[in-house]
Amino acid sequence: REAARFWRENRAEAALRERCVVPPEEYERFVRALEAALAEHERRNEERIRQMAADIREAERRQRDTVRAALQVEPELCAGPSVCSPPAGPERDSCYGAEQPGPSGIQTGPDLAWMEPGQALTFIGHQETEGKGNVHTGAKPPWLTEEEDETKQQIGPSYEEFLKQKEKQKLKKLPAGRVGANFDHTSQTSSSWLPSFGRVWNHGRRWQSRHQFRTESGEKKQK
Amino acid sequence: MSFLLPKLSSKKEVDQAIKSVAEKVLVLRFGRDSDAVCLQLDDILAKTAHDLSKMAVIYLVDVNKVPVYTQYFDISYIPSTVFFFNGQHMKVDYGSPDHTKFVGSFKTKQDFIDLIEVIYRGAMRGKLIVRSPIDPKNIPKYDLLYQGI
Repeated sequence: REAARFWRENRAEAALRERCVVPPEEYERFVRALEAALAEHERRNEERIRQMAADIREAERRQRDTVRAALQVEPELCAGPSVCSPPAGPERDSCYGAEQPGPSGIQTGPDLAWMEPGQALTFIGHQETEGKGNVHTGAKPPWLTEEEDETKQQIGPSYEEFLKQKEKQKLKKLPAGRVGANFDHTSQTSSSWLPSFGRVWNHGRRWQSRHQFRTESGEKKQK
Repeated sequence: MSFLLPKLSSKKEVDQAIKSVAEKVLVLRFGRDSDAVCLQLDDILAKTAHDLSKMAVIYLVDVNKVPVYTQYFDISYIPSTVFFFNGQHMKVDYGSPDHTKFVGSFKTKQDFIDLIEVIYRGAMRGKLIVRSPIDPKNIPKYDLLYQGI
């Protein structure tokens, strides 16, 4: 019905209508075919990319092996330069094609020597992520995928710690010059601990009274 | 009225009290529960303990049970009340010969309340010795005998 209205409004030829209207089954078939084709196309792309990555890795490995072989050959260079460089040369040629056009034999030796000690970084291997994908393919980051195993761990201080923090803030409000402000209330003292007390028959500082008391009791015990 | 106030019966408990009471005046009454003047003093302490709860903590100590402190504090008359703040001994000049402790009982509850307030304020200002606000008439008289070592 919509189609008919459209046709009338645009004053097109009735005959054309038969040809243009696409029956629903045809449409369904089209959609399905489209999905299949799309999936196929994507798969082929991924395959191609993976193949390229594997090729690059292979090339890197071969390059490294050659470098190592070249360095082993290095010490022998002084002995027989003409013998060693040709075997090293052509190999390097095949691998380094793009990087070093026409390697000048011995001059590139020290260059490789510089690269090898510079390779102090630890190689931990290629990260094979066949199914999961990584940041380059736009996969979902791990911190967003943590849907299972959500034990309700509270982040931050617990309730008791919060109360303790309030107490500490109250303490800070007290005058700093009060008596015993720096007294350690939780210190473990021995059984012979005596508090700081200014005794009656003592002159001098308070710790002296404690000292004197200990001497007195020492004398009494000896008696 | 001594059963209303908490008691300490060993040196360890006294040490614990001295170390743990924080930001409040610690009142240690040394005496015997059965002594007449002690009973009077304990009555006043018990009745004011609640009102002074934000400034002071009061404990009763039996002199027979902690002989080491009885000697260390030179307690020769009972009741004797010693004051601490944050582990430090507070001395008070009452107009009597001994500033290190209060000997005897108080005449009124208000005297004791005033005294605690003065000790608390002095301690907050960092003073280790304060002057007692109690009228010297109301302070019990005693003779301080020098005991040769």
